[in-house]
Amino acid sequence: MTSTQTETTKIPEKHHHHPPTTWKTFFSFSTDHKVIGIQYTVTAFIFFLIGGIFAMIIRGELITPEADLVDRTVYNAMFTMHGTVMLFMWTFPVLAGLANYLVPLMIGARDMAFPRLNAVAFWMVPIFGIILMASFFVPGGPAQAGWWSYPPVSTQNPTGILFNGQFLWLLAVALSGISSILGAVNIVTTIIRMRAPGMGFFRMPAYVWTVLSAQIIQLFGLPALTAGAVMLLFDLTVGTSFFDPAKGGDPVLYQHFFWFYSHPAVYVIILPVFGIFSEIFPVYARKPLFGYKVVAVSSLIITGLSGIVWVHHMFASGTPGWMRMLFMFSTMLISVPTGIKVFAWVATIWGGKLRLDTPMLFALGGLIMFVFAGITGIMLASVPVDIHVNNTYFVVGHFHYVIYGATVMGIYAAIYHWFPKMTGRMYYEGLGKLHFWLTFIGANLNFFPMHPLGLQGMPRRVASYDPEFAFWNVIASIGGFILGMSTLPFLLNMVSSWADGKKAPDNPWRAIGLEWLVPSPPPVENFEKQLPIVMAEPYGYGKSEDLVANASDLN
Amino acid sequence: MNNRNIILLIISFIILAIISVWIGQQSYSWLPPEAAAESILIDHLFSFLVTIGAFIFLGVTGAILYSIIFHRAGKYDMSDGPPIEGNVTLEVVWTAIPFVLVIWIATYSYQIYDQMSLRGPMEHFHMSMGMPSANAASVPEESTPPPKIEVHSQQWAWIFRYPEQNITSTELHLPVNQRAYLQLTSADVIHGFYIPAFRVKQDVIPGETINFEFTPIREGKYRLRDSQYSGTYFATMQANVVVESAEKYQEWLKIASSQPPSLAFNQAASEYTKKTENPIHSDWPTVIPAQPPMVNYH
Amino acid sequence: MNSTDSTLSSENLQPSIHEMAREHEHDAEGNSMFGFIVFLLSESVIFLSFFAGYIVYKTTTVDWLPPGVEGLEIKEPAINTVILVSSSFVIYLAERFLKSENIWGFRFFWLLTMAMGSYFLYGQAVEWGSLEFGFTSGVFGGMFYLLTGFHGLHVFSGVLLQLVMLIRSFIPGNYDNGHYGVDATSLFWHFVDVIWIILFGLIYLWQ
Ligand code: HEA
Ligand code: HEA
Ligand code: CUA
Ligand SMILES: [Cu+2]
Repeated sequence: MTSTQTETTKIPEKHHHHPPTTWKTFFSFSTDHKVIGIQYTVTAFIFFLIGGIFAMIIRGELITPEADLVDRTVYNAMFTMHGTVMLFMWTFPVLAGLANYLVPLMIGARDMAFPRLNAVAFWMVPIFGIILMASFFVPGGPAQAGWWSYPPVSTQNPTGILFNGQFLWLLAVALSGISSILGAVNIVTTIIRMRAPGMGFFRMPAYVWTVLSAQIIQLFGLPALTAGAVMLLFDLTVGTSFFDPAKGGDPVLYQHFFWFYSHPAVYVIILPVFGIFSEIFPVYARKPLFGYKVVAVSSLIITGLSGIVWVHHMFASGTPGWMRMLFMFSTMLISVPTGIKVFAWVATIWGGKLRLDTPMLFALGGLIMFVFAGITGIMLASVPVDIHVNNTYFVVGHFHYVIYGATVMGIYAAIYHWFPKMTGRMYYEGLGKLHFWLTFIGANLNFFPMHPLGLQGMPRRVASYDPEFAFWNVIASIGGFILGMSTLPFLLNMVSSWADGKKAPDNPWRAIGLEWLVPSPPPVENFEKQLPIVMAEPYGYGKSEDLVANASDLN
Repeated sequence: MNNRNIILLIISFIILAIISVWIGQQSYSWLPPEAAAESILIDHLFSFLVTIGAFIFLGVTGAILYSIIFHRAGKYDMSDGPPIEGNVTLEVVWTAIPFVLVIWIATYSYQIYDQMSLRGPMEHFHMSMGMPSANAASVPEESTPPPKIEVHSQQWAWIFRYPEQNITSTELHLPVNQRAYLQLTSADVIHGFYIPAFRVKQDVIPGETINFEFTPIREGKYRLRDSQYSGTYFATMQANVVVESAEKYQEWLKIASSQPPSLAFNQAASEYTKKTENPIHSDWPTVIPAQPPMVNYH
Repeated sequence: MNSTDSTLSSENLQPSIHEMAREHEHDAEGNSMFGFIVFLLSESVIFLSFFAGYIVYKTTTVDWLPPGVEGLEIKEPAINTVILVSSSFVIYLAERFLKSENIWGFRFFWLLTMAMGSYFLYGQAVEWGSLEFGFTSGVFGGMFYLLTGFHGLHVFSGVLLQLVMLIRSFIPGNYDNGHYGVDATSLFWHFVDVIWIILFGLIYLWQ
């Protein structure tokens, strides 16, 4: 019956004619989600390199105990800009880019719900990126108050002029927030309302679930940050006293605003990476995702919990005891839904037919580093331990393991995995493997030593330190430089493969998913002739069932 | 699951447990010397967390590595693995175990916290919000509260004041095995009072007076570091903490109070004045460090 | 299977999931409304954050009112409140008229809403002018102007949106594809209203 209908369904007419995609398209105000997705990804990667260069300066300074490479003000600007760029200009945009590219394809839609809004949200990224970079050229240099911008340090403004680095910082972060909210509205609407026929919620790929969960966080979290940022801006510019203790304000309140968003923000970052893991393991292990439904729902549980744990960043801020205990418990609870995912991935791999292509290597490496980071996270959640290691390198080690080890590695996994789809070319496997090993070794050399340093009591954000800490810092710096180098084979691989790689088939990995049913790269309307009619849950590996009823009629 | 697998599982479980306990024991050596009563409590807790953490980490990575080694597809093997979609029992188990672990970790952390009876500022300001006074045993209820040592922080210096003896110092001297009572204040931004060897830390919020207490138990010289980023010369904001016997402490008080106040050395102020001589200085203006403090002892 | 006559398009025979699919895709109005509601929910968190901040300040600040300030005059703001709240009913009437295709009825009540909104803004401006404390007068002054100002900005945007919708109502065939613009504007107006009621309670009633 179904196939009869399929045969004869009238094709919704194409909306308009599209010029062919050339390199010029990527510099235009395109409304094609795939173009925007790539625009986001490439722009974000440029900022990753910029943030990485800042990190190299940081590691260069820290290779010796004295403050001898750059001035202290420059060092402070470096970690402030490093953190800001890496979070607001690299992770958020690159994940928005991947979601943009993949979600409509994965749910069987022709585009996002609001294509023009999508383009607007993207074009704000280079704008606020430039604003932030411009702060290097104002008197006083860029913001130097850390990526948290805690007052009163952030409102001290030694330059005495209005257009200072901190002002531009706030402006850039506010614009980034608006862009992210617009993006979130678009993605949530798309996922809820644009799914192909038959694509019930429990037929969505786990990645789509995680993107939905992550974007919901943006919607409830970002406004709180915005509120805090607006108040800080007024304190800085017109002299209100919201956070100025000298005039009756409360600096700790800012911390609540900030972390109410910035803690959940780490799950905005990690959730889509969880999704990427859930997509990649089944493909390269040739097994269905173990416990798909539970894995899917656990994302929403993380979203819910993420809103009630923020005070764990403020255990040493002068928080009352009951609050410390409450937030300790809620924070630790996150390990339950996260553990569900971790165990499900291990069970997915277990007994499979593993193939260690580059995406799989990155996903496995990322998973291992994530588990390590999660465990140090639980240690941080324990109030007495946190009181010792708070604001030390132990924290820096914890979050680079998640944010580099799991997130950046997960993003690399995704880029390699979907590269053939996006570009129609295969990447070079050898360079990919080289990239993986340099990254994995570099990341561990770089970030593992931070844990003993923190336990020994080395504070973060210092340009100089006591000589007793030198040993581990040298190792960390060497690891950092290896990490820097690791980006070179990647860049070489991407540029040369895109220009000149082997032509990719539609489905080089024999993967199951709507995006693999269309040509590589997909046509402008994704599903030119018909929308797919979904008949099965995702990840039907080892089962002989069809994912869609009309596979041959999509294009 | 056949018997052989169950036995293998139990054996690997035991091996894992042994390794984890061993790593947990090692963890004491990763930390600075235990110079305060608090540090002993925290180190126990940390060791416990390392043990559990090692078990989980090694268990998960062990399973992953096992699969990587033994479940590889042959080069021309294009077949799929078994289409196992889930297992309800297993899923319930691995939801329940972390949950139980969390309760265990949280309860143990709570007990340690309770024994430390760390005093945050709020407990003194808004009594109604504070926890019921944590532990009467370790904090002997005294009728006359002992004199508090005043800890002043500013960009970028620590100044300690002993009000009874009218001493100011850039070094914090404490008698061993006596509970130390401090009063933390800040003149400008948030600073962080942190002595790694004591494992104690507290943000110093400007506009508030924060009471803080702990018990040093080991004589020696330790480092006090600012733990809350406070601007340009943040890294230089350190001080020495000297824990000494009661007699020596009294002696020190006497010596210090007999000295007339003089100008102390201050790293931030000295770097700032020499700034332009430094080949790597930038022209970015910065908050000017406060004058080096006048103290009796430095 | 394949023998079905292609002219016997399934569309004519039964409402198939294909049509659902097409409706899905072409229900741009529905998407827009859904997206707009999501956006408003998100926007409301900004206000919630400000409210939370206000409550914290109000309950913990030692010298809450700036020196010389007794409290806020409540009479004029109360009148303002009544007008803003009633305008929510008026705009609802306007919508009803549009639904029953009485375009002039719609325009009349729509214009009335705009007038009431503008009067609210005027009243707010008069109040601001008469206050003896400013934006930088301590946390209280800051919070007062921040909350009323941010809300006022929303009222102003609402009136602007209404103006656009009013002008658009003169474009022939404007409503051929539904009334998304009018519905959204009206929803926004109710939102601004509800926020004001909370705000009024917090700032004026809870003194
Ligand atoms: C993507 C980013 C990311 C992610 C996913 C996480 C995940 C977690 N983080 Fe982390 N964190 C950061 C990024 C992230 N963090 C950043 C950037 C900072 C510092 C910001 C700054 O100060 O600049 C920070 C700081 C930070 C602190 C504050 C420390 C301080 O400043 O003093 C704390 C404290 O509780 C914490 C805890 C946790 C916990 C409990 C998790 C949990 O979600 C981890 C859960 C996962 C697991 C536990 C592993 C898998 C689970 C199992 C295998 C099941 C069994 C396990 C158990 C029962 C334990 N993090
Ligand atoms: C996504 C987030 C992200 C990522 C990917 C990274 C990546 C890196 N980070 Fe970090 N980091 C943060 C987020 C991130 N970071 C945050 C939020 C903070 C806190 C800030 C604060 O305290 O306010 C922080 C702080 C921070 C510190 C602490 C600074 C301090 O407290 O004083 C350090 C110190 O080593 C560090 C190092 C690094 C290194 C070496 C990398 C490397 O992985 C980078 C590697 C990448 C490159 C190097 C690309 C460029 C390469 C080239 C251009 C070619 C080759 C170049 C050379 C070989 C020189 N980061
Ligand atoms: Cu000094 Cu923080
Ligand atoms: Cu957090």
